[in-house]
Amino acid sequence: MLSNDEECGMTTIKGGYPGGYPGQGQGGYPGGQQGGYGYPGQQPQPGYGAPGGYPPPSGYAPPPASVPGVSPETQRLFTMVDRDRSGKISSDELKTALVNGNGENFSDVACKLMIGMFNRDKTGMVDIHEFEKLYNYINQWLNIFKTYDRDSSGHIDESELTQALGQMGFRFSPNFIKFLVTKCDARSHKNVSVDQFIVLCIQIQRFTEAFRMRDSQQTGTITINFEDFLTVALDCST
Amino acid sequence: MAFQSPMPSQQFLLEVFRRVDKDNSGSISADELQQALSNGTWNPFNPETVRLMIGMFDKQNRGTVSFHDFGALWKYVTDWQNCFRSFDSDGSGNIDKNELKTALTAFGYRLSDNLIDILIRKFDRYGKGTILFDDFIQCCIILYTLTSSFRQYDTDMDGVITIHYEQFLSMVFSLKI
Repeated sequence: MLSNDEECGMTTIKGGYPGGYPGQGQGGYPGGQQGGYGYPGQQPQPGYGAPGGYPPPSGYAPPPASVPGVSPETQRLFTMVDRDRSGKISSDELKTALVNGNGENFSDVACKLMIGMFNRDKTGMVDIHEFEKLYNYINQWLNIFKTYDRDSSGHIDESELTQALGQMGFRFSPNFIKFLVTKCDARSHKNVSVDQFIVLCIQIQRFTEAFRMRDSQQTGTITINFEDFLTVALDCST
Repeated sequence: MAFQSPMPSQQFLLEVFRRVDKDNSGSISADELQQALSNGTWNPFNPETVRLMIGMFDKQNRGTVSFHDFGALWKYVTDWQNCFRSFDSDGSGNIDKNELKTALTAFGYRLSDNLIDILIRKFDRYGKGTILFDDFIQCCIILYTLTSSFRQYDTDMDGVITIHYEQFLSMVFSLKI
């Protein structure tokens, strides 16, 4: 189900982390979460698509010739999202098409991050094949999010975030979870929206991987110099 | 910084404020600020830079800047403009790798060419190998944030720190989520 993961480096964490990290509770670090989420029968998300309604123009532009290996559904969505008809979807186009539970468009950070994971040639745009994978990927995240957003409020709170990250194998202190929620919701320190949740999870996974590479003894502590620190911080974010 | 400009008169600031505050709401939103700022091209001003700047001067935590804090914001942008111009030595309107290196060295950073490359790659929004005014501000703010959090732990100032997993994560999470 999470077949994209290996390709895009999402859950690159392989093989568990036997020692665990002191003070992190059992497990500490996740050991590849592939098995954890099985979401059979994924439906296209209601939130996904063009909120204000951007129907494909009907008069001109004949329907694009069907692309082999791409489902008609993907094709339909791609045409809808590719507003400038460039045959590629940019981060801005993706943003226009995605709405979170607060009725806001996905953040620039979220869209750039996800486009960056699927666009092979590093142009900041995805073609239709990459888009199909990206679309599945987003749906997987939406489904994961939905299982924690029990009251369907469109956002999750501190305890739901703790649970979600716990499911992925991360055991964080309550303080750290608070820190994350505050980062997401600077005003009321309560809610994490789906796009923030996606960014959070991707970044935690990347930073954890980077940390682990430097923690060869698995002591839960690293010694790092300034330049290396900057490199990690800059390279692992968007 | 050596790029400080004098604070303009209240009268002048009020005029600028009114022009930027398009919906006459009495405060400036991120969208209004973005429209008012230019990076020297026809492309919109970097929204992330706008967000960072609003965050700095939004004392009431409402996502907007009131007239009371507008003077400080205006001065901040102007100081950055002077700074940017002084390092754009060829007057091209953008900063290339060497100019960025000179600028950061002048700020007191000693960074390898490799790291300068990473910075250019990260903040160059148009894939031209150079960075524009708005991206330059973003780059400097982020570098500054990361440096401050590193310094907190580097009590003996030797450029090396030892940190726990969660400490590490909190430090690198300085970017927007």
